[in-house]
Amino acid sequence: MLNFTDFEQMFSMGDDGDTLMMLVWIIPIIIFVFYGQQIQLLVTSGEIKKAIKKLDKFRSDSKKELIDYVKKNLDPIDDPTKKIEQFLDYFTIMPVDMDPNGIMDKVRHTVRSREDYTRNHVKSLSSNMSEIELTRVQTLIEIASSLQMIHKIVNHMFLTAKKQKNYPLILPLQMMLPFIMEHAKAMDASIPAFKTGQPLGDGIGPMVVGKMMLDKEKEIISFQTALAKIDYEQRKLFLVKAEGPGSTVGRPDDALQKIVTSTKIDAIIMIDAALKMEGEDSASVARGFGAAIGGIGTEKFQIEQIAIENKIPVFSIVVKQSVKEAITLMTKEIADQADNVRSQVYEMILENTLEGQSVVIIGVGNTSGVPQ
Amino acid sequence: MIFSKEKTTLAYTIEKCSKCEKFHKRDFSEGDILFAISSKCTFCNGITTIDKIFGEILER
Repeated sequence: MLNFTDFEQMFSMGDDGDTLMMLVWIIPIIIFVFYGQQIQLLVTSGEIKKAIKKLDKFRSDSKKELIDYVKKNLDPIDDPTKKIEQFLDYFTIMPVDMDPNGIMDKVRHTVRSREDYTRNHVKSLSSNMSEIELTRVQTLIEIASSLQMIHKIVNHMFLTAKKQKNYPLILPLQMMLPFIMEHAKAMDASIPAFKTGQPLGDGIGPMVVGKMMLDKEKEIISFQTALAKIDYEQRKLFLVKAEGPGSTVGRPDDALQKIVTSTKIDAIIMIDAALKMEGEDSASVARGFGAAIGGIGTEKFQIEQIAIENKIPVFSIVVKQSVKEAITLMTKEIADQADNVRSQVYEMILENTLEGQSVVIIGVGNTSGVPQ
Repeated sequence: MIFSKEKTTLAYTIEKCSKCEKFHKRDFSEGDILFAISSKCTFCNGITTIDKIFGEILER
C-alpha cells in the first residue's frame, strides 16, 4: 500500500518540508546568480571543443593529403614537407580601405601577387610538373591553408573566452560555428575530387561553354583563360572559359576587357553555379540580370565596369547548389542540367540580340576535369 | 550517431557513342576528363566520348 503522507512531506506539504524545499530551490538560484556564466561556458565549451577537434583533424588530414600527393605524383627534388608547411603559414594582408578610392586595384594586386608567388614556389618543388598538376597542387594548398586558418581562428576565439571566463565572448562563435563547420566539411570533402581531377558542381559553367567550344579553334586570351569564336544564327559568339582540365577559374575579366577593346559587344551572358537558399531544390536553373561570378569581388567589379562603360547588358544563368555540392564532385542532378542550360543560353541569345550582333558567353567556375 | 548511415560518394563516368548515341555508365577511373575520347561502343563499335562525370551517394 502506498503511504500518501510520505509524498505530501516530500512535496512540502508539511512544515519540515517547507524549509527543505526552500533550500532546494534557493541554493541553485544562488549558484546560478553567481556562477551562471561559468556554467553556461562549461556546457557550450563542450560542443565547441568537439568542433575544434574536428577542425584540427581536417587541418592535419588536408596537410597530409597534400604532402602525400606531391610525394607520390610529382617526384619532388627533396622532401617537400618543410616547404609545404611554409606555404600553409603564408598570410595575406588586405589593403587599407579607409579611403576606398582605388581599393579594387589594390586588392587585385595583392591577391594576384600571392597567386604568382605560390605558383612559382610550387613549380620549384619538382622539375617535371605539368601545368595541370601545378593547378591541382595550388588548389590543394589553398584548401589546406584555409582549413589551417579556420582552425586557428576558432581555437583562438574559444581560448580567449575561456581565459577571460567571458561567456558573452563565446556567443558569436557558438552562433557561427554550424556555418563554419559546413564550409570546413565541404572543403575537407573536396580534396579527393581535386586530387583526381574530377569536375565539381562549380564546373557547370565551364562544362556548358566547354561543350560549345568543342572542335572549334581556340586561343589563350588571358592567363589560364580560353576563347573560341563561333557563329550562331547570324550572330558572332565569343565563348570564354578557364583553360581546362586543370583546377583553375582563369581570368574572365581580363578576357572580356581584351574582347571589348577589339570588337563591339552587344550582350554578355554568364553561366555560373550559385548558392541555393534553404528549401530551394538543388540543381534548379534560374535566369537573371547582372554579373554571375563569385570570388573576392575584383573580377565582378571589372566585368561590371566594362559593361557600364560600353553599355552592354549582362544576363546570367545560374545552377543552384549547396556549398558542399559546389566544391565536391559534381552530382548527377547538376550534370543532367548541362544540356538544359546550353539550350537556355541559345534561347537567351535569340531573345536578346539581333542578327549581326556579337555576344560574349562566359562559363564561370573551376574547370577541374573540364577541357574545351 | 548510432542510427546515422555511413555515406560514400561513388564516381561514375557516362560515355556516349557518337554513332548510335547510346550511353554507357561505368566507374570513374583516374585520368577521365569530360569530352575525351574514351573507348569503343559495345553496341555498334563506334567511338565513345565522355559525356558526364558525376558522383552518387551510397548510404549503408
